[in-house]
Amino acid sequence: MAPIDRIQDAVQNAADSLAQAGQATAFDSIWAGSDIPTQAPSGLENVMLSNDKIFVVLVVVLIIWSGIMFMLWRNDNRISELERQVGDQSNDLL
Amino acid sequence: MNRTYNFIRNTVFVWLTLMILGAFLLNIPRINILEHTARNLYFHVPMWFTMMAAVGVSAWHSVRYLGTGDMVRDIRALQAARIGTLFGVLGLLTGIFWSKFTWYVGTDVWWNFDPRQTMAAVQLLIYGAYFVLRSAFEDPVKRARIAGVYNVFAMVTVPFLLFVLPRQMASLHPGADGNPAFSDITAPVMRLVFYPAVIGFIGLFWVLYTQRVRLATLKHRLTSDPEL
Repeated sequence: MAPIDRIQDAVQNAADSLAQAGQATAFDSIWAGSDIPTQAPSGLENVMLSNDKIFVVLVVVLIIWSGIMFMLWRNDNRISELERQVGDQSNDLL
Repeated sequence: MNRTYNFIRNTVFVWLTLMILGAFLLNIPRINILEHTARNLYFHVPMWFTMMAAVGVSAWHSVRYLGTGDMVRDIRALQAARIGTLFGVLGLLTGIFWSKFTWYVGTDVWWNFDPRQTMAAVQLLIYGAYFVLRSAFEDPVKRARIAGVYNVFAMVTVPFLLFVLPRQMASLHPGADGNPAFSDITAPVMRLVFYPAVIGFIGLFWVLYTQRVRLATLKHRLTSDPEL
């Protein structure tokens, strides 16, 4: 059997077992119109494609959150600088 | 004092990052209708807890302003109400989006006058009136005094609008008429993330609030106008 046929077989088997488990949806990881991948998932893909790809969402959320934290941190520094310039050390932050 | 502030702020950052990791990584029971959207519990519900904490802080400073006449108290009351309203709007929007793809799926309904949702919207309007009322005064002292009285009244309506009335009526929310209470339906693993999320978002409120208080205090010093 050619390698490409083996991969097609493996994908078909995976799809069948998902269908048996009642988990097959219109959103299976093989897109109907696309070519079947010719290489097995490697490296980061092993993680990111698992669990309905929820880790992709996690990384997106963490990127956004780190941007927000960075801006909050910079704002604090800017405000402290302003307070120094105005000579306002008395501000009770807590 | 600044060192303590930086320490708490950094703790909030680490805390919320861990909370996000827990929210996505921990396995939760899959239940009908909700499925993975049950994870919204960690994000949607803390918005309301944070708003309630914020309006509590706001009303406390209004009471202190009325007692002392210290303009810093008025600045704090206004900024706490501002950030609290932000969290309330986020809670309302996330609730609308969540319900559309769970209970309202297959319908064109985005808003079905769920009692708690409607009362939350009324609540936000009451705080909207607080900001409008403030803008009606030129004199900062008069503005602070009258707005302070109104703000205490506004806070008193919160428990009635968000808890007492919605529990008398049929609602999608836990604890409403005929629905089981939150404590009966929430899996233990979800509480492990949910309660820290509430604390973390209140911490985030505190960071945003403190930044705006510092800016408003600077503006007050430089221009005699505490409004920000």
